Parts: sequence; C-alpha cells; structure tokens
Amino acid sequence: MLKYNRLASIAILACLILSGCALSRDTNQIEAYNQFAIRAAQAQLWNEAVFRWKQVIGVDPENSKAYNNLGVAYEALGDTDEAVAAYQRATELEPDNKYYRLNYRRCRIHIRRSGVDEDAPQLEEDESPSTE
Amino acid sequence: MQMLKKITILLVTLMFFGCGSAVTRVSIPVKVQSEIDIGRYSNFAVLPFVSERHAERNEELPPEVGEDIAAVLRRGLARQKSFEVVNSQETARLLTGEDIGEEWLSDTKHLSQLGEYFEVKGIIVGSFRFYSDSRPRRYYGERYSIQRQRYVMDYQDYMQKTYLLALRVMIIDVETEKIVWDESYRRSTAEAHTIGSFIFSQAGPQANTVRELGRRAVSEFTRQISPHYEQEDRYLVK
Repeated sequence: MLKYNRLASIAILACLILSGCALSRDTNQIEAYNQFAIRAAQAQLWNEAVFRWKQVIGVDPENSKAYNNLGVAYEALGDTDEAVAAYQRATELEPDNKYYRLNYRRCRIHIRRSGVDEDAPQLEEDESPSTE
Repeated sequence: MQMLKKITILLVTLMFFGCGSAVTRVSIPVKVQSEIDIGRYSNFAVLPFVSERHAERNEELPPEVGEDIAAVLRRGLARQKSFEVVNSQETARLLTGEDIGEEWLSDTKHLSQLGEYFEVKGIIVGSFRFYSDSRPRRYYGERYSIQRQRYVMDYQDYMQKTYLLALRVMIIDVETEKIVWDESYRRSTAEAHTIGSFIFSQAGPQANTVRELGRRAVSEFTRQISPHYEQEDRYLVK
C-alpha cells in the first residue's frame, strides 16, 4: 500500500513537471514570437509582425500584449478597423494598462481627425497622457 | 540593517529597469486628411501674390517676387495627385493686361469671375509683407589669454538681422464667391553680422531671402490642404 502511494505521488509529480514544461515551452514560444515581431516592426516589416502576433494569439488567445501590438501593426498598415478591434480587445483583457489605453486613444484621435469614422465613440477625459 | 537597505535599493532599481525595457516606442505612418474638401476643390488657379504696400515696415522688393512665390505654390500643388493647377504660362497669358493689386483680395466677385474664365473650382490669391529687424547682440565665450596662461571670459558684439515674411493665402470658391481659406504664415530667418557686413546687407538684394521664406510658407500651406502622412508614436509591449 505504501509502495502504491509512493508510486502515485511520483506519477503526480511527473505529471506536474511535464505540464510545467509544456507551459514553459508555450511561454517561451510566445516570448520568442513577440520579440521577433517587435524586431520586424522596428524594421517596418509590418506584415511579418502581424503574422507573428497572430501566431501568438493562436497559441494564447488571451494575450493582451499581442492584441495591443497587433493593433499598432494594423494601424501602421492603414487598417484602422482591425486596429480598433485589436486595441479594444487588449484594453478589455487588461483595462489598467496605460500603454494599451494610450495607443487606443491615439488611434481614435487619428480616426476622428481624419474623418474616417464619424461615429467613433467619444474619448473619455480621464485618459490623460501620463506617459508622455 | 544597512545591508537590507542596500538590497531594497538594488531591487527597486532593478524593478525600474525592468519596467523601462518592457515597452518599445515605434513610429508609424498615419494618414492626415486635407483640411479642405478636395472632392470639391480639385483644380486651382494661383494668382501672383501682391505686396502689402500700405502695411507698416514693408520693405520694397522687385515686383516679380509675388509671381515667384505663386510659381513655387503652383509647382507644389501640381505635385499632389489630388489637385490640378493652371500652369504659370497659362496664368500669365490669361492675366495679360491685368494689373493685380491689393484691392483684388477683397473683391471676391471679380476673383470668382476670373475663376470661371480659368475654368477652375478655386482661386488662390494672397499677399505678403517682408521686413527685417536688426538688434545688437553680445556673444559670450572664452578665449585663451597668453598673458594669464589660462582661458578667460570674453565677449563679442554683433548685429543680428532677422528677416520676417508674413504670407497671407486665401482660397476663393468660384461658384459661391466665398472665402473658404484665409490663413497667414509667418516665417523668419536670422543672420549674424559685423558692422561692415551689416551695412553691406542693408544695401544688398533681399529677393532671394524672400523667395526662400516664401517657399517654406507655401510648403506649409500645401501640406495643410493635401492629404499626407505624418509619423506618430505607438507603444509595443514586450
């Protein structure tokens, strides 16, 4: 009985370690994709960056960073509808992140200024650009 | 206790460094729309700019300066795919016998008639005022004194001459006879003179300075009325 218990504990431990490894591998992969995409974005290779961030979202659909970065890439490519949707998702996932809010706010200001979307929601006054 | 304090400071510093590197700033191109209705105002005639003769401190310039500024504006607008502009030769031909003066700027009816003659939607007219302002300045620096064997404070007096151009640009809607754009653009440039070069500059020709300032003012106007791209910062999160 004691031997059986010990085997069970070892098996549980092994399972935990393996799941941890799998999780860590996913995290590393996401990290790597994100880093690569950022480098691509810095080199103005926005389509490549979009592809990578979409891959990140494929692995982790709740990754707010990827949605924010994807929003930036879409905006750079001139696809404002997709950019707004991505920023919106990022701020939904992490409402207190000032960078997501700042990007989203600037995107909406740009849309309003350029008159692309007259029905764009009004900006909240409390979103001060504290990071500038 | 001292050790604990050191560790806390180190941790806080590391935390800040961590926060700083979590974000990358990138510049993205954003499209800025024209400030006028480019669907409506797609073709223009640019009339020679007139000197504001009755304004205070307006320096006397050769009469062709106004036409030179207008020619720069025509070239700038012609490069934009949204606009068609009546070229300089055609404008000169159609304006043969006309004496363009300051009084034209307020006569929108006449300008509108001219616009119909040119077969355009909008007429661009304007005026300019050019003047200079000279002030004595003192430049402080250091020079090496052989006597004292060290650097000593020294100064040099000079004349700073600032050239200023105020360019007024108007767009008149040919159909409605209304002024749809009326903006002033101020540009300046400064140069340092010794007493000798200052006297020479007072007598020398200034048309090139006006043309250069006019080119800068006109490019600002062209940028405002043409759709263009600007760079804006966004944040990528690592």
